[in-house]
Amino acid sequence: MRPMPGTKPLYAAVLACAAALAGAWLAERYGLFEQNLAAAQSAIGANCLDCHDEIGRSGDLVLDPATLADVGGHAEVWEKVLRKITDRAMPPPDEPRPPEEDYLTVERFLVAELDAVAAARPNAGDLPQLHRLTRTEYRNAIRDLLALEGLPAELDFELLLPADNRSSGFDNIAELLFIAPSNMERYIDTARRISRLAVGDMNTPPLVNRHRMALQLPQDTHLPGLPLGTRGGLLVESFLPLDGEYVIRVEFAGGSHELHELEVLVNGERVAAATVVTGNRGFPRRPPPFQFRLPLPAGPAQFGVTFVERSEAFDESTLRVRRRSRGALPDIELVTISGPFNPTGPGDTPSRARIFTCTPDGELGERACASEVLTALAHRAYRRPVSDIELDEIWPFYETGFAEGGFERGIQYALERILVSPQFLYRVEIDPPGAEPGKAYAIGSFELASRLSFFLWSSIPDDELLELAAAGRLQDPGTLQAQVERMLADPRSTSLVSNFASQWLFLGDIESKDPDLYLFRDYDETLRDAFAIETELFIDSVLRGGGSILELITANHTFVNERLAEHYGLANIEGSHFRRVELPEDSPRAGLLGKGGILTLTSYSTRTSPVLRGKYVLENLLAAPPPPPPRDVPSLVTEQDGAVLTLREALERHREDPACAGCHYEMDAIGFALENFDAVGQWRDRSAGVEVDARSELPDGTPIDGITGLRNHLAQRPDRFARAFSEKLLMYALGRNIQYYDAPAVRAIVRDAANDGYSFASIVEGIVLSVPFRMRNPRDGTAANAAAAVTEANR
Amino acid sequence: MRYVTGKSIARRTFLRGAGAAVALPMLDAMVPAFGQAPAPVPRLGFVYVGNGIIHDDWKPATTGRDFTLPPNLLPLAGVREHMNVLTGLSHLEADSRGDGSGDHTRACAAWLTGVHVYDRTRPGVEVRVATSADQLAARQIGSDSPIQSLELTVETPQQGACDSGDCFYVNTVSWRNESTPNMTEIHPRVVFERLFGDGGSSAERLARVRRTGSLLDSVDAEARRLAGKLGGGDRSKINEYLDTVREIERRIQNTEARGEQSLELPERPTSIPETFEAHTQLMLDLQHLAFQTDATRVFSMIYARELSGRSYAQIGVGGNHHGVSHHRDDPTLMALKSRIDTHNLRVFAPFIEKLAATPDGDGSLLDQSLIVYGGGMGNGNLHRHSDIPCLTFGSLGGRIPTGTHLAYEMDTPMCNLLVTMLQQLDVEIELFGDSSGALDLDA
Repeated sequence: MRPMPGTKPLYAAVLACAAALAGAWLAERYGLFEQNLAAAQSAIGANCLDCHDEIGRSGDLVLDPATLADVGGHAEVWEKVLRKITDRAMPPPDEPRPPEEDYLTVERFLVAELDAVAAARPNAGDLPQLHRLTRTEYRNAIRDLLALEGLPAELDFELLLPADNRSSGFDNIAELLFIAPSNMERYIDTARRISRLAVGDMNTPPLVNRHRMALQLPQDTHLPGLPLGTRGGLLVESFLPLDGEYVIRVEFAGGSHELHELEVLVNGERVAAATVVTGNRGFPRRPPPFQFRLPLPAGPAQFGVTFVERSEAFDESTLRVRRRSRGALPDIELVTISGPFNPTGPGDTPSRARIFTCTPDGELGERACASEVLTALAHRAYRRPVSDIELDEIWPFYETGFAEGGFERGIQYALERILVSPQFLYRVEIDPPGAEPGKAYAIGSFELASRLSFFLWSSIPDDELLELAAAGRLQDPGTLQAQVERMLADPRSTSLVSNFASQWLFLGDIESKDPDLYLFRDYDETLRDAFAIETELFIDSVLRGGGSILELITANHTFVNERLAEHYGLANIEGSHFRRVELPEDSPRAGLLGKGGILTLTSYSTRTSPVLRGKYVLENLLAAPPPPPPRDVPSLVTEQDGAVLTLREALERHREDPACAGCHYEMDAIGFALENFDAVGQWRDRSAGVEVDARSELPDGTPIDGITGLRNHLAQRPDRFARAFSEKLLMYALGRNIQYYDAPAVRAIVRDAANDGYSFASIVEGIVLSVPFRMRNPRDGTAANAAAAVTEANR
Repeated sequence: MRYVTGKSIARRTFLRGAGAAVALPMLDAMVPAFGQAPAPVPRLGFVYVGNGIIHDDWKPATTGRDFTLPPNLLPLAGVREHMNVLTGLSHLEADSRGDGSGDHTRACAAWLTGVHVYDRTRPGVEVRVATSADQLAARQIGSDSPIQSLELTVETPQQGACDSGDCFYVNTVSWRNESTPNMTEIHPRVVFERLFGDGGSSAERLARVRRTGSLLDSVDAEARRLAGKLGGGDRSKINEYLDTVREIERRIQNTEARGEQSLELPERPTSIPETFEAHTQLMLDLQHLAFQTDATRVFSMIYARELSGRSYAQIGVGGNHHGVSHHRDDPTLMALKSRIDTHNLRVFAPFIEKLAATPDGDGSLLDQSLIVYGGGMGNGNLHRHSDIPCLTFGSLGGRIPTGTHLAYEMDTPMCNLLVTMLQQLDVEIELFGDSSGALDLDA
């Protein structure tokens, strides 16, 4: 038996306790350790070293069983081994299988040791002290800070601010949230426009809000949100800056010989109607624009523009997609809402109510009122109490504005200043003066409040969180749990589902998918939108349903409208609205893997790709991404002896190369199980005239038969899916990549969630209570230096 | 910015219902009316096309001045005398070092930096590239122009899945410093407003510029205070912010120093045109205008992104660009890829022709320019970073002879071209990226 090195923290900690504990206990614990160590070493020696020794170096991994005596010092390697062993992913398929007992011995030993080391010496990972708000977070922060929602199209955040960089799908990775001159200019510009709108500046120039109809949006059916008995059209929310006059202009595409009744609605009430006609001879021409002006109050408003449906409309040939049917019916092409003209006042908007908590001619007087308003705004914007120095920095802007246009202008300019402050634009977590290098510490209450709100709401903390932080009560686990529960019940947590789920599953990529127009004539924007809505509603129903997150894989229901039901071959669904449908037993549409959106975004534009789909499942649903392909990977051979190979045959040949087999075996097996879905997620029994074979075999010999088989297989290992889900959610919660040192935290989250039936709430709670969420490593400490050293070593 | 443009008038005209066109219809008819013609200044452009090429259709069969345009380059017949075809160049730093499958991401990151980027999703690996050549040049020649450099794209940034997980490497070629990429802009309206402002009278604009100035002074002080509290490890983030603040201050000063210029401007574009061709043309028109007004002297553009999912159905290519680039040596697929490459140049050529037709000093804008059109990948099917596509347009004010196919010894670093370009602009530089010296551009 090897002597134990004296530097191991676990045993140092154990020894430190020894004085207070019975010597017999220590001896027993110590003896047990020696025994378990020996067993683990021999299991590794017997099953792994044929390939992973100094000579074999398979996968560039060399295992030294001696280091098992000090897993803390070699955590990166042993976490990697533990994962392969837990997943039974090693040894490779063509090697003899170790006895199950060996797997369990090593697994138990590594889990116990790695977790004990992590508990004795928490590692919270590396996170920059400045974490810029993402565009989504900025938008939500403006909504919550200023009660500003549904900004006019000219102030669309997609235009105001640049998109953020993503890593592995997530856009909130601190390290990648840069600021360059081009976006700083836009922060300044955005601050100016937002404060003008929120305060209701009487000098606001007219905005021109253009709403162009999507080219592929069908105009021949009823659209959700518009009155029944109408066809096509558009429904938009737009915040009106001032009380005043607004011009609504409707432009058309296509023409008709017949009369069509157009309706314009504001906040559900009909404000104008017109008959659209384009002459009754010859080729139908585009109708002239329809335009009118009306007074409207400031604040949020909803505009609807649509046609009254008439049965004769369908006498003319109508096709589904406008880009293929231009000319059949008059379509709305563009709706422009411009204004305000002749403004009469700032009106009575939610934003003004939020900002102006006092009046300058009231009891407080002008300056004290300004100070009250600005202190409250800065407090919420900076997410913590504001110092006098900081207020002094804001004040001159109030003075300038006051001199130029009075009290409200002063508030407007000061608000502009607040919105470009680095303390608003960045989440700031500064290491306290006493932070010991290399030693993780618990973050402060206000930092924790921000971590909570940006995680669960993608926005700033509300007053309750800030008050709890100020009272020093937020760190208390009971309070934290109660807050998580409250925050999950709040509507703002929809961002957790929509923002997290769409990034985790790359749902945004569906937008840029362009299935081959000639091969998939049925694919259009409504179908694409329906895919997105279905997946989002489905995920929402599972996560908020309170059941197991495993239902994401298995749940036997989905959400469809007529368009999507038609695509899926589901009968008796009519109308454009989405509804929940319970699916028959073993329906291919159960779970995420039956959803058209995911099946489309994992396909090429002309065909399916078992490799892409397999990789997607491994990476996103099992958190076991295949390693990168080796350099000079051979191309797929598509012909043999003059005969064209099927994709399956070609991939089988590819796997004959041992360099490829290791990864492709599992990837392809998963991908082929999904072959009954074509490249736009439609069910098929035959492909290119040949019956689809959706059977495959996993590396460990388990046969998989189609989507049902794959689903059952994934459901058998709930811990594996829960681990993947927790890792992704933790990455999102922290805004950094998950590394080997996070594995103990993830194991704890999954373990605790298992006791609660793997509910979403239990995983969220586990994350909030975890070491990486509640603590941070000082940035100048060993972690950062180690990181630099690793980077250097890589060069 | 104080262009006297009649912008606010144009705006009201529209509000009366005149409507606004998406394209820039007035552009061709415009004549710049500068108070005094500034002395000609060099201009640079870097246009990135990813996913490799089909060499048989791209490389001229013979070298020297008398080369015949190969099929892919036929759209450039009109500007043949103003261009060079460079072959045999490589970016071997983009090759794998056993560190991940990011052949596409590395190709794009290395293009103007010559740096091998490591897979950042691995523990301890941080973003570390290098200041790109366009930025070094911009600091030399653009420091007194209102916008030091402009970064554009005509492709939606890649979001979820990139081969190494780090999509941001394929969304720009321009790096401000080793850890800050310059993000690209896709929306013509945003580009227009950056260049020419968003309306209002010139008095209003001046007041706004002044307030922006005091805003910057104030946040500068605040950021410095914050920097004092940060550990050294994180200074780079706050320095990024401070650096940015100073850059905008510089811009405001330059804008004010210009005084009034009168130039008729087109109507502000409002949306992204729906087709690739119209979008690209509009963005290149804006860039042309930016050169013409001397608003900026350096630009880069993601023209065909690595891993692009763009479909070219309009020219009969059903699949997407990246998919087609993995042609597996299938002649049918290779022909499709070749068709994409030709089409991209067909859409690009009018920009060069327009630069050639725009007077600047004694010659044309193109004469003063060097526009590099190319990418970091040669054989897209096999992910090779050798024999990469590289075309140059313009003679950089007579510094570079044109009209030649220059065939270099295989695997000559493309960084040699960047070194030559920087040296021609009097940037003191001997080595850049993996360069082995300067590139001989004389035929």
